[in-house]
Amino acid sequence: MSNNVVVRAENLSKRFGDQIVFEHVSLEVHKSEVVAIIGPSGAGKSTLIRCINVLHPFNEGTLQLLGHTLTGGSALPPKPVLNDIRTRVGMVFQTFNLFPHLTVLNNIILAPMEVKKISRKEAVERALKLLDMVGLGHKADMFPKRLSGGEQQRVAICRALAMEPEIMLFDEPTSMLDPELVGEVLAAIQRLAREGMTMILVTHEMMFAKEVADTVVIMADHTIVEKGSAQKVLETPQTERSRVFLRRVLNPGTTALDFEPMVGQGGDH
Amino acid sequence: MHMVRLWAQYLPQMLKGVGITLELTGASLGVAIIFGFILAIARLSKIRLMEIIARWYIEIVRAIPVLVILFIAYYSLGQIGIKLSGMTAAIVSLGAFYATQFGEIFRGAILGVDRGQKEAAAALGMPGGLMMRKVILPQAFFSILPPATNQLSNLIKDTSLVFTIGVADLMFQAYAAASTTFLPLDMLTLAGIIYFVFYIIISKFLARWELNVQQRRS
Ligand SMILES: Nc1ncnc2c1ncn2[C@@H]1O[C@H](COP(=O)(O)OP(=O)(O)O)[C@@H](O)[C@H]1O
Ligand SMILES: [Mg+2]
Repeated sequence: MSNNVVVRAENLSKRFGDQIVFEHVSLEVHKSEVVAIIGPSGAGKSTLIRCINVLHPFNEGTLQLLGHTLTGGSALPPKPVLNDIRTRVGMVFQTFNLFPHLTVLNNIILAPMEVKKISRKEAVERALKLLDMVGLGHKADMFPKRLSGGEQQRVAICRALAMEPEIMLFDEPTSMLDPELVGEVLAAIQRLAREGMTMILVTHEMMFAKEVADTVVIMADHTIVEKGSAQKVLETPQTERSRVFLRRVLNPGTTALDFEPMVGQGGDH
Repeated sequence: MHMVRLWAQYLPQMLKGVGITLELTGASLGVAIIFGFILAIARLSKIRLMEIIARWYIEIVRAIPVLVILFIAYYSLGQIGIKLSGMTAAIVSLGAFYATQFGEIFRGAILGVDRGQKEAAAALGMPGGLMMRKVILPQAFFSILPPATNQLSNLIKDTSLVFTIGVADLMFQAYAAASTTFLPLDMLTLAGIIYFVFYIIISKFLARWELNVQQRRS
């Protein structure tokens, strides 16, 4: 693997039982590259990034990342490999998934202390620095329930960053948020991008993708239908399938048809 | 007036029984919780044999009346050379039975924790045991409290069965007092009141505990 390729997926296929989620997916991600994955709901975007964090096994193909080579099969790799990858790859979920029984601070320091065995003092120091960075230093002692959706998602980003990951994965980080809260989360992600974090980001925010992503990947019909520089893919797509998708998304009026239904409002429960 | 004087006279004897009832409740609860937790983990295990053994144990034992289990432990085991004291037989029987109840409560509560929580913990590189201790169990705890309170009050009531094998618990003392005074109504009413007071104290205490923790988390 060339020095600055951090993720290389070759011909990945993933099924749940008989149902094909995606097939023949190949993707390379370089150090400090920001890759945005877009595409209609159900295309397999979430499943793909979960495979990259080995939350799911995949069926065929090979996945090289962080010095490990995984091959397709029905089982996850052995635990030491699994935990090594998960520790070094950060993930941010659509539904935040903060631990509701822990304060903001304890959410962030739990894994650094228990998994990486960092001292409490150092973990707290680092957590507060991260919280300050996203403007939430004053909320360290609150429980997640008290925070808005946008604040919860920023805490979730801090929690992932506290492990000092080499790659960050985002699965539609803003799709559960009220529109006025989207900006604060995107700002945090953009800042990371500028600092050179390697990122794979599933998103429905086209303008944002165009702005922060180096590479845009369009997934549809169980595979990658288009891949290239952000500008090229979004402005001059080469395949008919991409054109259909982008027309729907970029054309107001019909936009909503292609989005996943908004299930409630993630902000306040 | 007469009844109250009689109660006062027999209260010390009753309280001795209360001590045994409490001891028995505490010990059986401990056994039921620990063994129940093992059953829950076994039922959730990927090792099929463990899952099957635990499932069958639960299906069978919870279908048997506690009194039958108690007699098996005290009398039948004696027949094959395992001689248990009354107290031990009582703790083993109640523990074995209530482990099935607590086991199913624990399993349900663990399964009830949102899948996203497990994924978030896994994504942070937490191994299974750590995830269980720090993320799953603390959250499962809340759905455990109400049904566990229920089973605990059943357990307290079922301890009264042990007087049949001669353990000198509250029921035993009430029955003895009733026999000597020929006043079963008065003596058993007193026992009933004491059981009721236990129930009130425990359920109020657990309800307050639950409320406290819930408030602390919001
Ligand atoms: N754990 C799972 N078990 C079974 N099917 C699943 C699971 N996760 C996702 N799927 C299915 O895989 C397909 C792709 O889902 P997903 O990766 O979430 O798509 P996207 O993120 O692009 O909307 C969907 O049809 C979905 O129902
Ligand atoms: Mg998705």
